[in-house]
Amino acid sequence: MSAIDRAELARRHEQRLKLLVPAAVEELKGLSLFSGLPEKARDKILEKIRQYVHWVEFGPGDIVLRQGDYSDSAFFIVSGTVEVQANLKSQERFAVPRLRSTATGAAPRELRPRSSIAGMVGKGQKTFILADVAIEDTPDSRVLMQEGEVFGEVAALSRYAVGATVKSVGTTRLLQLRLPGLRMLMKTSKEFQKFVDDRYRRRTLSSHLRNVDLFSKVDARFLKEMQERAELLSFEPGQIIVDEGTEADAFYLVRGGYVRVSVRAGVTDLVVTYLRKGEYVGETALLMNLDWPFTLQAMEYVELVKISKEDFRRLLAVAPDVEDKLWNDGVAQLKARGSVMRDPISSEYLQMAAETGLIHGESVLLIDLATCTRCDDCVRACAETHGGTPRFVREGYKYRNWLIPSACYQCTDPVCMTNCPTGAITREVGTLEVTINEETCIGCSNCAKSCPWDNIVMIETGEVRTDGKAVEVASKCDLCISRPEGPACVQMCPQGATIRINFKDIDRVSTTLR
Amino acid sequence: MSSGIALAPKVPRNLKATAIVSVALVAACAVSSLFFPWHANRGPGLVFGFLAAFLFAFEMLYPWRRRLASRFLNTARNWLQAHVYLGVITLVSVFIHAGFRWPTGALGWSLMMLSVWTTLTGLLGVWLQKWIPSALADGLTVEVLYERIPAILDKLRTEAETLVENSSDRLKRFYDREARQSMGSVSGSWGYLFNVAAGRERALEKFRRMSQFVDPSEQDRVEDLMTIYTEKLELDAQYSLQSILRRWQVLHVPAAGLLIGLLVVHIAVWIVY
Repeated sequence: MSAIDRAELARRHEQRLKLLVPAAVEELKGLSLFSGLPEKARDKILEKIRQYVHWVEFGPGDIVLRQGDYSDSAFFIVSGTVEVQANLKSQERFAVPRLRSTATGAAPRELRPRSSIAGMVGKGQKTFILADVAIEDTPDSRVLMQEGEVFGEVAALSRYAVGATVKSVGTTRLLQLRLPGLRMLMKTSKEFQKFVDDRYRRRTLSSHLRNVDLFSKVDARFLKEMQERAELLSFEPGQIIVDEGTEADAFYLVRGGYVRVSVRAGVTDLVVTYLRKGEYVGETALLMNLDWPFTLQAMEYVELVKISKEDFRRLLAVAPDVEDKLWNDGVAQLKARGSVMRDPISSEYLQMAAETGLIHGESVLLIDLATCTRCDDCVRACAETHGGTPRFVREGYKYRNWLIPSACYQCTDPVCMTNCPTGAITREVGTLEVTINEETCIGCSNCAKSCPWDNIVMIETGEVRTDGKAVEVASKCDLCISRPEGPACVQMCPQGATIRINFKDIDRVSTTLR
Repeated sequence: MSSGIALAPKVPRNLKATAIVSVALVAACAVSSLFFPWHANRGPGLVFGFLAAFLFAFEMLYPWRRRLASRFLNTARNWLQAHVYLGVITLVSVFIHAGFRWPTGALGWSLMMLSVWTTLTGLLGVWLQKWIPSALADGLTVEVLYERIPAILDKLRTEAETLVENSSDRLKRFYDREARQSMGSVSGSWGYLFNVAAGRERALEKFRRMSQFVDPSEQDRVEDLMTIYTEKLELDAQYSLQSILRRWQVLHVPAAGLLIGLLVVHIAVWIVY
């Protein structure tokens, strides 16, 4: 028998769900969180927001947010106290510097595949883990947050992994604001928007900037100044950020969401690339004194840091050694632009990747149908690695000669992780694989429902619950994490038809899918 | 284990190397035959016999590679490459071992026949594995798991019959006469091996002609019926070609097993006598 009592975990989850109470407008009105809403429209706005807002109660020691998890909610402390705790030991393991009061975010980490299998799973991209909770430099790296304070908003808005574990000290009553509600509140309450922006600026921006190559060697004083002067912008899905041919007036750093970079060609737009958090754009035009050579468009909710042309020029003056890198990046961008202009077909792959959601994947499984002999060795190898149950089937979306089976993409922002009640679905900080702990999975299917690509399935364990129903657990591709040789599906394909790819790796995408 | 392996899966990677090795072996045989009279059971002839036996033994490891060694010794793809190209070198070694003469005894004759047959059927398999996937991917829009073909066909048939149920008598009669029987089961055909869309135009032409004779309000229904029928024809092609991909081994594997059995007898006879 397992040391973990799954039934007990499920019982506690059900109890927790009972404590999750929808909020009524009258109750919300009195909270300081909503004081910034315009008086006249307050009731109307609260009526809209309340569908995304719940009261929730935690007992002593209960975990509200877990470090490294992904969350889609911010929390407002109505009563009680929570303890914020960064596990410095685990961070040291990943060589993350200690948190300081002046720079309270944990240093960003790249998602990276195990070095031994890097070639098989696609290369990892710059994707970072940032803390959004202030932790002072105390010996035990803990801080208490009291009634009236908000936490979790940066991780929810920019979909970074949560930077610290938040535990309830005694009995704590919280107001949980899910992402749409949080966005609505930011849009309607200037006060709240300012509060969130200030918090981001104060706690996270410096570590975010520091991670961008451009700012990595800039002295702290300049960075501090930049932190104050940078503009924080939000865009809604489909909104044009900059238009091709207009005057380039700024440098943009993406802090959340996906930005489509395209060029005009005839009556249509050709996609050149996509930008995601941690990536930047604008240096080409600013360096060469050009108009915008691209159109930038928000593909979903996008959060940007805008640095003006003047500040950008000052940056070059104080850090001349970054100029070479910028020129190289600029040339690469123009080369990519020229490449899609010459060969518009290559842009189609990126367009398809955006439409089907493949750009979210860090390691997408593709099968070349023109080479695959339909022997199913890939599925068999997968089953053998996972105790007889394969983690994918050779069925899915077909694009030209390529099949995209229903195997987990290992998304950059794994939305499946936002709502797991027991933390069974995890991604270890700095790694690529999103894995499910079958011992602690209680079969609530939240992850399966959250996955936009239906790449998580519920499977029966063979056990039976006390109420007679079969026990189910969530199951998904974990890139054969237990297998030192890498994903079995790739290694065991006799035709070499199975590959793993990251759609940000445009060179490989266009050479492979051609 | 580089990612580059998967980027150009169709390029015959070891063809040149295999040709060079084969020519070198034949050259070695030619040179040594200048100095020694060629005997299969003596000198260089025997060495080539050993080489062929060793290679046959290696070839036989392939079916077990999934369980035995592939995980630890490189990718399945490299194993398959080795199986194919070393198989060709094995046959060359057998010819050299026999001194490019047809064996006289029944055992030698059987061994030679089986070696040639096994190699040729293996190469046929390679050709089928190159040809069929390409044909399926390029010529068909439907991609389906072999095991699910009957279930999907059932679904298509139900869809077609529901469509026809509330239609005019003329359309019903047309469906009964031209499509109902065909929709009942998968129809395999070797013709798909050479043309994946074989017979499709002729079959669909009837639907096109029929659409001229039905009420304009029913033309969409005929279009839908035609789409369903096209999918059915694609399922037939998938079934036929995937069956070939699965079954060609019947020509190869039993012969290979028999060959190994006779090879053991051949070696035993050589040791004893």
